[in-house]
Amino acid sequence: MAQPLVKKDDDRDDEVDYSPFLGIEKGAVLQEARVFNDPQLDPRRCSQVITKLLYLLNQGETFTKVEATEVFFAVTKLFQSRDMGLRRMVYVIIKELSPSADEVIIVTSSLMKDMTSKTDMYRANAIRVLCRITDGTLLTQIERYLKQAIVDKNPVVASAALVSGIHLLQTNPEIVKRWSNEVQEAVQSRAALVQFHALALLHQIRQNDRLAVNKLVSSLTRGSVRSPLAQCLLIRYTSQVIRESTNDTQTGDRPFYDFLEGCLRHKAEMVIFEAARAITELNGVTSRELTPAITVLQLFLSSSKPVLRFAAVRTLNKVAMSHPMAVTNCNIDMESLISDQNRSIATLAITTLLKTGNESSVDRLMKQITNFMSDIADEFKIVVVDAIRSLCLKFPLKHRSLMNFLSNILREEGGFEYKKAIVDSIVILIRDIPEAKESGLLHLCEFIEDCEFTYLSTQILHFLGIEGPKTSDPSKYIRYIYNRVHLENATVRAGAVSTLAKFGAMVDGLKPRIFVLLRRCLFDNDDEVRDRATLYLNTLGGDGAVVETDEGVKEFLFGSLDVPLVNLENSLKNYDPSEKAFDINSVPKDVKTQPLAEKKATSKKPTGLGAPPPGPPSTVDAYEKLLSSIPEFASFGKLFKSSAPVELTEAETEYAVNVVKHIFDGHVVFQYNCTNTIPEQLLENVTVIVDASEAEEFAEVASKPLRQLPYDSPGQTFVAFEKPEGVSAVGKFSNMLRFIVKEVDPSTGEAEDDGVEDEYQLEDLELVAADYMLKVGVSNFRNAWESMGVDFERVDEYGLGPRDSLAEAVNAVINLLGMQPCEGTEVVPPNSRSHTCLLSGVYLGNVKVLVRLQFGLDGPKDVAMKLAVRSEDETVSDTIHEIVASG
Amino acid sequence: MILAVLFANSEGNILVERFNGVPAEERLHWRSFLVKLGADNLKGVKNEELLVASHKSVYIVYTVLGDVSVYVVGKDEYDELALAEVIFVITSAVKDVCGKLPTERLFLDKYGRICLTLDEIIWKETVTFCVIANEHPFAFSSMDTAANVLPHPFS
Repeated sequence: MAQPLVKKDDDRDDEVDYSPFLGIEKGAVLQEARVFNDPQLDPRRCSQVITKLLYLLNQGETFTKVEATEVFFAVTKLFQSRDMGLRRMVYVIIKELSPSADEVIIVTSSLMKDMTSKTDMYRANAIRVLCRITDGTLLTQIERYLKQAIVDKNPVVASAALVSGIHLLQTNPEIVKRWSNEVQEAVQSRAALVQFHALALLHQIRQNDRLAVNKLVSSLTRGSVRSPLAQCLLIRYTSQVIRESTNDTQTGDRPFYDFLEGCLRHKAEMVIFEAARAITELNGVTSRELTPAITVLQLFLSSSKPVLRFAAVRTLNKVAMSHPMAVTNCNIDMESLISDQNRSIATLAITTLLKTGNESSVDRLMKQITNFMSDIADEFKIVVVDAIRSLCLKFPLKHRSLMNFLSNILREEGGFEYKKAIVDSIVILIRDIPEAKESGLLHLCEFIEDCEFTYLSTQILHFLGIEGPKTSDPSKYIRYIYNRVHLENATVRAGAVSTLAKFGAMVDGLKPRIFVLLRRCLFDNDDEVRDRATLYLNTLGGDGAVVETDEGVKEFLFGSLDVPLVNLENSLKNYDPSEKAFDINSVPKDVKTQPLAEKKATSKKPTGLGAPPPGPPSTVDAYEKLLSSIPEFASFGKLFKSSAPVELTEAETEYAVNVVKHIFDGHVVFQYNCTNTIPEQLLENVTVIVDASEAEEFAEVASKPLRQLPYDSPGQTFVAFEKPEGVSAVGKFSNMLRFIVKEVDPSTGEAEDDGVEDEYQLEDLELVAADYMLKVGVSNFRNAWESMGVDFERVDEYGLGPRDSLAEAVNAVINLLGMQPCEGTEVVPPNSRSHTCLLSGVYLGNVKVLVRLQFGLDGPKDVAMKLAVRSEDETVSDTIHEIVASG
Repeated sequence: MILAVLFANSEGNILVERFNGVPAEERLHWRSFLVKLGADNLKGVKNEELLVASHKSVYIVYTVLGDVSVYVVGKDEYDELALAEVIFVITSAVKDVCGKLPTERLFLDKYGRICLTLDEIIWKETVTFCVIANEHPFAFSSMDTAANVLPHPFS
């Protein structure tokens, strides 16, 4: 039996452990609920039982359907009581029990009576309950009362009806839209909360009518809205109107900007902040418009209320992404926030400072951050590490101090995610800033000396194996790696053995010493470690003498597999250990999942160790192997570039086909990746018939059909074309899939003997100039540009005509050339009227190309562009200009 | 929308919770996250001093009131400022119901009224209005401000 609720007793106030709900049980409370059926209701006791029911529900207890129905019916009896407190509890419990449609009918008449009651409290609550449990048919019956309630002189009743309207608009929009007149009247209410809810509902009713919203905003911005919250809403609606309208082209003024600016002087902080944020989020906001907003946000930074400080620094953090210069005035205030008690505020302040700081302030900032790092949680530290990585990529010359900072925090305590973030950052810096390589690698080496995470140790060892041998003095890393063999678990030891072997294979001078170390590993107590050591000792050759390792051996040991790992794993799982050895050639070279993987790779920033070393090169390696294994294409020479797969069919069609364009010096090979998605069909002799009549410079030289294409097992067919050597010929190709289709018996999985020839139209394929360009970035564009020299520089100006925005024009040219944007210059700040974009790439014939694009707005929409190209070959510089001129 | 309102005692046990639009399987995560947040930061904080945090795109404003800690979680239009207003109403209402800063015992004694008040402050994911549960149901106490605490029911 549950403890009865005890009336508050002063004597017991000190017994803090005592709970009125001690030992409460669902069964007992349900029993107690029978008091609801008493002919003489005791309101106090009934309220206590409802409280217990609410407590149970709040503690995660659930009622079965039968229990809930029983309680619900009992509760309906309580409408007999005239006790006001009890009636309110009844309203709450009805909503909590959420009765089903057939039960609702029991209470509707009582609730409808309450809705027209003289007691305001009943009216308001009955409206809320009814609207919560009602359906469309009942709503039409009570609509009249709801309309009256909206203009009720008691603000609580009016608000209850209005908020009900907001919820009902989702389910019964037609009915709620009929209340427009009443809602409009409520917007003029003197009561602030009614005005606020009425405005919200009115906007929702009209939100699809742009003109009506415009009118609403125009009239309200002129008048006086009393409620600060309604004012906030109005600011949001105003920003929406501003977004959808255009500037006054003659004066350059933005409609309603004066209203927003005026709100910055409002007495409510909430309104000031809302206005400031609205201004910072305006499209193409100018620094003149931004200044007053930044000024009020700056004042908030030193507010005594943490919420205001947080709101201000969060907004400034966003502004810093697009307008770093505008925020620099607040830097001093933000620096003082680094020591803010609230770590969320401190972290936002630091990440903002890292975005707005200039090269000269980096060192000072790093000093402050060092003190701060020790007392924040890992999740905040990760945000800071990411910001420091971006900063380092922005100011490569500062790599020394930033790298030192990263290595210092790497030595301190921290969880896996945090350590991984640091290691990833160091790896990315090593890859992107050549000068940082040696120091970065040494930091990583020191880290693995005392690293508790096996995953990170093995990843770093793998990375050392790739980068270490290419450094000026590879021998200095050996000690760190070999220490792992002595001190770590088997997984790390095996990784260390592989890394040692890589050094041996790549650096001939180290080979004898590596052999000595590898021989010691032969006595390891772990199978895998011993096996690896044996394998490397037997394959590297030369018996430890200083000889060059055979390329074939290197490829065998450390080359990439030319099959996707998932497929290999599946094939190995399906392999039955038998006399017949596993044949790696039997693994399907499925490229079906590749588009997805590639999309991921391009959309995500490099993630350091977590991701496989840059996706495209390894894909190119795989393609190169694949193509060179086909005799028809063996004579084409070295593969220059393989494009990302281009879909030639819609999603969810019978046959899914995409194509990869492989570019050689004098040839082009189209690799059609086909998937048959019909289980009842087997396709044979699959080819693609290509019509090259719109690609005059190309002549078909070979076609390699696919013998069989069973259900859901992708295969490839190839078509090769010859083209003038070294020329970036372009053209359009139309494609038709031709095959013999055979029915498959679903029960046996066997195909019928006879098949029918069939064709399937695919989409056209275009070969464009960008296909002849490899996206290859440079870490320091300025240096690269200077060192390329002016010999083959070609400069010209172009008019790009009217464009939606500068950003669109920049993107169009980047896509046209297919080059790698450098130093983040592909991002155009929203309000700029001019922009410089830097691109780099390698053109067909391995010619390095650098491009400097200067864009400017000429008149309101016309974009003019100055294109400067430097390359190692004058004809390539000219070709780039031709591409732009003809694009 | 307002995703959650949660009351916990000083040991981190949940006293009252209301979730809106949070799937059941994520509630446990939120509970423990909020309680940990409180344990890490609420020590030594003055009554009703607001603390703020953000987790992904969600904002949390929380405070301590006597023996009880209060957390309000919101997203989109219910940003930190709107939540600060919401929590202000909630704490004012709880103080009014209890007559002073609540001890855990007092809070549980007044459990029914607190649920009632909470229901009238927050309706589904939108703040509706605040009725301080005094003897007179419409006594807004000092709260003409109660009328001002109604954040943005955008959807």
